[in-house]
Amino acid sequence: MTVLFQQLVNGFSLGATYAVFAIGFTMIFGVLNLLNMAHGAVFMWGAYIGLACVADLGLPLALAVPAAFVFSGLLSVSYEIVIFGPLRKKEAHRWIGLIASLAMARGLVALAQMIFGTHVVRYPTVGLLSGYMEMGGVRVHTLQIVIFGIAVLLMGALAFMLQRTRMGRAIRTVAFSPRVAELAGISVRNTAFATFFLAGALAGVAGVLLGLLFNAVSPFMGETILLKGLTVVILGGLGSVPGAMLGGLLLGVIEVFSVGYVSSAFRDAIGFGLVFVILLIKPSGLFGQTEAARA
Amino acid sequence: MNDLLAAYGNLIDMIFLNSIIAYSVWLTLSANMFSMATGGFLSLGAYTCVYLTMQHGLPFFAGAAAAALAATAVALILGLPLLRLRGDYFALATLAFTEVVRVVALNWESVTGGALGIFNIPKYTDTAVLLIVFVLAVYFCWALEHSPEGRARRSMRRDETPAAAMGVNIFTHKLALFAASGFLAGLAGALAGHLNYFIGPNDFGLMRTIDALAYPILGGVNSLAGPALGAAVFTIFPEFLRFSNQMREIILGAVFVLAVLLLPNGLTSFRGFRGSRRRERRMGVREKGGG
Repeated sequence: MTVLFQQLVNGFSLGATYAVFAIGFTMIFGVLNLLNMAHGAVFMWGAYIGLACVADLGLPLALAVPAAFVFSGLLSVSYEIVIFGPLRKKEAHRWIGLIASLAMARGLVALAQMIFGTHVVRYPTVGLLSGYMEMGGVRVHTLQIVIFGIAVLLMGALAFMLQRTRMGRAIRTVAFSPRVAELAGISVRNTAFATFFLAGALAGVAGVLLGLLFNAVSPFMGETILLKGLTVVILGGLGSVPGAMLGGLLLGVIEVFSVGYVSSAFRDAIGFGLVFVILLIKPSGLFGQTEAARA
Repeated sequence: MNDLLAAYGNLIDMIFLNSIIAYSVWLTLSANMFSMATGGFLSLGAYTCVYLTMQHGLPFFAGAAAAALAATAVALILGLPLLRLRGDYFALATLAFTEVVRVVALNWESVTGGALGIFNIPKYTDTAVLLIVFVLAVYFCWALEHSPEGRARRSMRRDETPAAAMGVNIFTHKLALFAASGFLAGLAGALAGHLNYFIGPNDFGLMRTIDALAYPILGGVNSLAGPALGAAVFTIFPEFLRFSNQMREIILGAVFVLAVLLLPNGLTSFRGFRGSRRRERRMGVREKGGG
């Protein structure tokens, strides 16, 4: 029983970071109908910026996270400026954007290799976060609580923003139909910037969180998380923000359990195997909604 | 001629191999299927062929045929449920297939050699074999394009609903094309397996799949020359950037993005490559956006 609870604790803290990453991915899809394959690169850069703040500048984590938030958000906006915006103007096929974003991601990974090196680096042990407490044999690390807390806070803030603010309404209108949005006087361009910023910012924070959780940051962490993000997004239904939150937690728990009870070798395959089965049973994802209701 | 082959033999081999892969991808793209199963099929073909030739002593051509047929069979089995999915879900599900194949290759050590891969594979694939397969692949695609199937496919690509109303069986067409794509990718995998003395599970992952998709998309999907042109350009071009591994990736990324922004319909959208506009209008292949 304690093992079960321990697995759940580990699964939730891992899943929360997956969720934060996947929300941005699913938002860009839901609002702008784009598959942004460079989302993993933003995540990786966020992790490095957070690391640089903590390790090189000696800043506390409470400042490193906002720094990663802002930097990754701006990096993500640059995708819209360089790739997706011009392609939209030229009415290019959306496959082109997919390929171009991947090319961009490769460039960014190589740039990170040049600047930060190819080896895996670690966050310095942060005094406060290395503690843990035990409840009935279940060990909960302070780090896990902090990660889960930040993730829930961000998801709550995003949900509030999407539902209650002017910007959120604009984003949801564009998701419903860009043409309707323009008729209502909403600038699709500005909404696209806002969406890319939010998505990238969340991905950057997720990078810091996962870097802390695994205590490893490398230029190649973006590709792995991109695959996880795709899994989560299918689990939750493409374009659905609540779906991405639930899907992320679900994938985290499933991965931890599969390592605990099946085998660590097939951890990555289990997520995708699941995707397969789910798509066969319910072709619009586990929590998939109708087109109009997304985001 | 011999000097040329000696100096650039490997590059020429890679151009032919990538072109074959590009036509395999083109077969799916030209029917509006964004299939990311290419990596999985390549992997399947490579491991099947290498396993049969090295562990069971089959001749190369028998192994390659078995590899192609195995990939075709898997494509049929995979296509039956997956082709019901809408665009992006289909793409992601096929990516899931590629990843599952990669993880299986990583862990099925008795057959695939696990993470270390398989070494000392005899080199059976030479330029002549690649050239023959390449020519056959191009001929196949050309003949298909000029058959009733090609006409049906072009009408499907424009809009599936009226095509279906005109009596095109969308599902059967897509399944057949997906299977043909699997056949070609499986064959290409077998050729790739016996080309470089080594294969490993990460040779055929997401990146290989995306490269394969990039060839026809950057070359131009609306023309038969597009896939080969895209494959040639994006195989040769990186060779000029050998001086630094990381700078190479950065420059490549930048050039990719630039190419896409300047020529959003692919390299073949250059006037010279495109043939007469009238012919294109007659064939109904000039189109923008959509999907």
